[in-house]
Amino acid sequence: MYSDKLAKLLSSLKIETGDVVEVESGGAKLEGELMPKTEIGDPNTVILKMKSGYNAGVLVDSDTKIKKISAGKRQEFPLAKPKLNSKLPKVAIIWTGGTIGSKIDYKTGGVSMTVKPEELFYYIPELPEIANIMFKDVSGVASEDMTYIEWQKIAEEVAKAINDGARGVVITHGTDTMHFTAAALTFMLKDLNAPVVLTGSQRSGDRGSSDAFLNLISAVRLAANSNIAEVGICMHATSSDDKMHFIRGTKARKMHTSRRDAFRPINDRAIAYITKDGEISYHGDYKKVTDAQKKVKAQTDFEAKVAILKAYPNSDPEIIDYYIGKGYKGIIIEATGLGHTPTSVEHKGKSWLPFVERAVKKNVVVGVTSQCLYGRVNDNVYKNLRLLSHAGAVHCEDMLTETAYVKLGWLLANHKQEEAKDLLAKNIAGEIKERTTFDEFLA
Amino acid sequence: MANPEKVERDSNFYKSVGFMCGLEIHQRLATAHKLFCSCPATLANESDKLLAEVSRYQRAVAGELGSVDRSAEFEEAKNRRFNYKVRDKHTCLVEIDEEPPHNINSEALKIALAMGTAMKMKFVDELQPMRKEVVDGSDPSAFQRTTLVGIDGTIEVDGHKINMPTLFLEEESSGIVSASEDGIIYDTDRLGIPLLEIDTDAYIPNAAAAKSIALYIGTLLRVSGAVQRGIGSIRQDVNVSIKGGARVEIKGLQEVDKLDKFVDNEITRQLKLLEIKDELVKAGASVDAPIDLTEMLKKSTVRIVINQLERGGVAVGFRLKNFKGFLGKEVNPDRRLGSEISDYAKMAKVNGLIHSDENLAVYGFTEKEHEELKKKFSLGPHDAFVIIAGKKTDVEKAVALAMERAKYALVGIPLETRAVANTELCTTRFMRPLPGGSRMYPETDARPILITKEMVELAKKSAPDIEKEKKHLLSKVDNRSIAEQLLLSPRLNLFKTIISSTKADSGFVANILVQKFTELKRSGFEIDSIDEQRILHLFEAYGKGEITKQAVDELLKEMSLKKDSVANLIKVKRLQRITGKDLEHLVSQVKKEQKDSSDKNELRNLVMAKYRLTVDGAELNSVISSEK
Repeated sequence: MYSDKLAKLLSSLKIETGDVVEVESGGAKLEGELMPKTEIGDPNTVILKMKSGYNAGVLVDSDTKIKKISAGKRQEFPLAKPKLNSKLPKVAIIWTGGTIGSKIDYKTGGVSMTVKPEELFYYIPELPEIANIMFKDVSGVASEDMTYIEWQKIAEEVAKAINDGARGVVITHGTDTMHFTAAALTFMLKDLNAPVVLTGSQRSGDRGSSDAFLNLISAVRLAANSNIAEVGICMHATSSDDKMHFIRGTKARKMHTSRRDAFRPINDRAIAYITKDGEISYHGDYKKVTDAQKKVKAQTDFEAKVAILKAYPNSDPEIIDYYIGKGYKGIIIEATGLGHTPTSVEHKGKSWLPFVERAVKKNVVVGVTSQCLYGRVNDNVYKNLRLLSHAGAVHCEDMLTETAYVKLGWLLANHKQEEAKDLLAKNIAGEIKERTTFDEFLA
Repeated sequence: MANPEKVERDSNFYKSVGFMCGLEIHQRLATAHKLFCSCPATLANESDKLLAEVSRYQRAVAGELGSVDRSAEFEEAKNRRFNYKVRDKHTCLVEIDEEPPHNINSEALKIALAMGTAMKMKFVDELQPMRKEVVDGSDPSAFQRTTLVGIDGTIEVDGHKINMPTLFLEEESSGIVSASEDGIIYDTDRLGIPLLEIDTDAYIPNAAAAKSIALYIGTLLRVSGAVQRGIGSIRQDVNVSIKGGARVEIKGLQEVDKLDKFVDNEITRQLKLLEIKDELVKAGASVDAPIDLTEMLKKSTVRIVINQLERGGVAVGFRLKNFKGFLGKEVNPDRRLGSEISDYAKMAKVNGLIHSDENLAVYGFTEKEHEELKKKFSLGPHDAFVIIAGKKTDVEKAVALAMERAKYALVGIPLETRAVANTELCTTRFMRPLPGGSRMYPETDARPILITKEMVELAKKSAPDIEKEKKHLLSKVDNRSIAEQLLLSPRLNLFKTIISSTKADSGFVANILVQKFTELKRSGFEIDSIDEQRILHLFEAYGKGEITKQAVDELLKEMSLKKDSVANLIKVKRLQRITGKDLEHLVSQVKKEQKDSSDKNELRNLVMAKYRLTVDGAELNSVISSEK
């Protein structure tokens, strides 16, 4: 952002972003296009793009002379009209934004969202050769800002697209909370009989090396050609551009801040792999697409008063009282190891047991998952586990914390409290597996 | 125009041809870390194990692709596979585009500012790191990070003032390990090492000046003490054009000594091509459509054609009307118009071409085949032809490219990036079309850097100063000629290290590094292959009195032949210095064999004849003179 002084100066000179200006300072004269000012950098500098293509920041002080040479020209983004081929399967792309959906103005470096299908087809001309694409833009907030309201909207769009004849659906999404959305859609879409594929990218599409292209192409291929009737995430399986995987929506987690193979299956195998060239291979058990003609229903009610808490050394369980006071209906405790919270009375006020008991008495459903991520919680092996269980907490098997959280929010809105508590630790959509196989660890 | 080679190339000559020339010098910096991450800024050796090899595909991203047809470029690029070797110590996630860049290396920035100060540059107030699109895969991110640091500088070389418009701080690319049909393999150890790009303007007056300027900038860089040495650590690109010709960039010259010859040869090449153009136009020359020769040449015995046809390939040719004699015209030593056209064909992966200005019998064409070809091409007495054989898709491309270049012979000189063809002859070959302005956009992952007054002051203190260095050297070696040679020598910093860290006297060290090295090189010893660490060890041994001056010479020869440690070579070659009590004992032994025991000169000669390499003359003198 410019300082007030500089902003005033530019406005008095009628200089706008994009104009060609000349700046003379300390004996040096620079001419270039005025670039947009972002929140980074010194507020008293103007950034010029010179003929060479390089940008330079010039400090503007009382000795600086600045003048407008000519008005700027706007850059239009190129478009490509797709050729429709009615023989291809129909796939809906529901566009929610994220890194994958950002485009860059190569002059200014300004990033904005791709919202028109024609822009998308310009970037990725393969798409209309794979499927007949219907495009729905529902972008609005970044993935870290999404709430259950966006999940509900996306679920409704998915149901509508499938009921309108889409063979599969692709949802572009920011990666940070993609696994939350994937879990939410899994519970919300009843009688799903088509692939629903979430995808995103870790490197923005403005660079030739972006993972966006292959991720989106692979997601569209899965939606068009696979026989998976589940919600899942399709992203790079490795750091190479060779293989993408499709991970069950309730068993996926972002495990790295920046690598393109950040999404991993936890306590599960990838359902399928798809190569760069589009070959699909299936590796896990999954629900298959059938000939049934039943319509998919979006059952989107969601109880937002559910919290995630983390148990850790020195943690203060009084936080539970806060949530009870606020009228919360559910709490997921991400516990240590097999599902422990502090239970000892040695350290005054540190045991979680009385707080959990109080919550349960107040009809709050308390679920327990593990911060180990891998493996299954247990309510029996150690005495302290039994104590927590007796207090009324539900150990959530091999479920991820994020999945348990979303599931509980959905259960509480769609079932009676007792039923919701009962269903929390039972598999309803592939989120709990009875068997954990050897190869699922660090896969 | 008169024969360009016969014209004396004085300043009038350069003016008369409208000579324009500029230099771009790229120098790797000797910082501890890379420019945007904490990996060491050195090349990996075998001990740095490979952790993985990742493979990637890159795409042309939207917009501003200039005249190149987008779909063609897209098709071309999307299936090109790039593999990147990932090393334990020299690669982290930043290099392989799996993590955003860290903050810019402040040590590299300091060096850039010091160099800029030495060239009287003004600095950009707030540096803006940019991404420059790279399409050859040499960067896994598909762009190079580059930042404009300094502008509007000048240097003075041989009394001429040269403008230095720009100084950039950028990232080194990955080095190619191998390239094949399957793709290109790169090593990422080099990727991200800080690199300075220093540019002159385009008004260098003549070829000799281009060389002096390159030498001057090279010296300035070495004097800074902050740059890497060794093969590939400095590269000069030279831009040359003449009136009526075109800007041509000769890329990656590593030997400054020959830079003037490359420049002069480029002028000659352009003059000759312009001459050819005029004559071709006058003769009404033209290029005809291609003809398929596959069937006709199936029975041929010409090996290089038949080899391709037997593998299912094709042979295609085209007639060049009124081109006879021109394809064989020399434009540079051992380079003809035919070679220029052939370079273009080779872009499409064919091995080259055959043209009718060559002696076709050498390829194995029979008289009869030659006649058949003439008939097939309806060849008139002034016409020429070209034949290309290879894989069908390659040949189609190659023929189109060759025809395009042949047609351009009637228009002028194409804008080109050229690479060294022959180091001895100082000639170049076509490498790729001169790229238009590279697409650049801001590196939004890296912060702008405000250049503070403190940074500028610090740069003034650490700016390299050639005159000061020269005086300093003169005070150390006391011989103007050697001091000057040392200043220009790539071993300047080695010299400084040796005299500061060993007891070897500076005059002797300078002598060895400058004169002895040249002498040994002339005698055929591969003296440049000795790494600097071993040379340092050699002078350490000498400084500690473990070996004599004469043994230093001897060991250098051995070191150029064997990779053994200095200590080991001393042992194996029995070059330990005989000194103190041992020398006294040796002298008394030799004395016993002497006829006239009073002749001290004879005694000295006897000892030296046998022990020249291991006995120090001065010490021997003092031992002998104290002998009773």
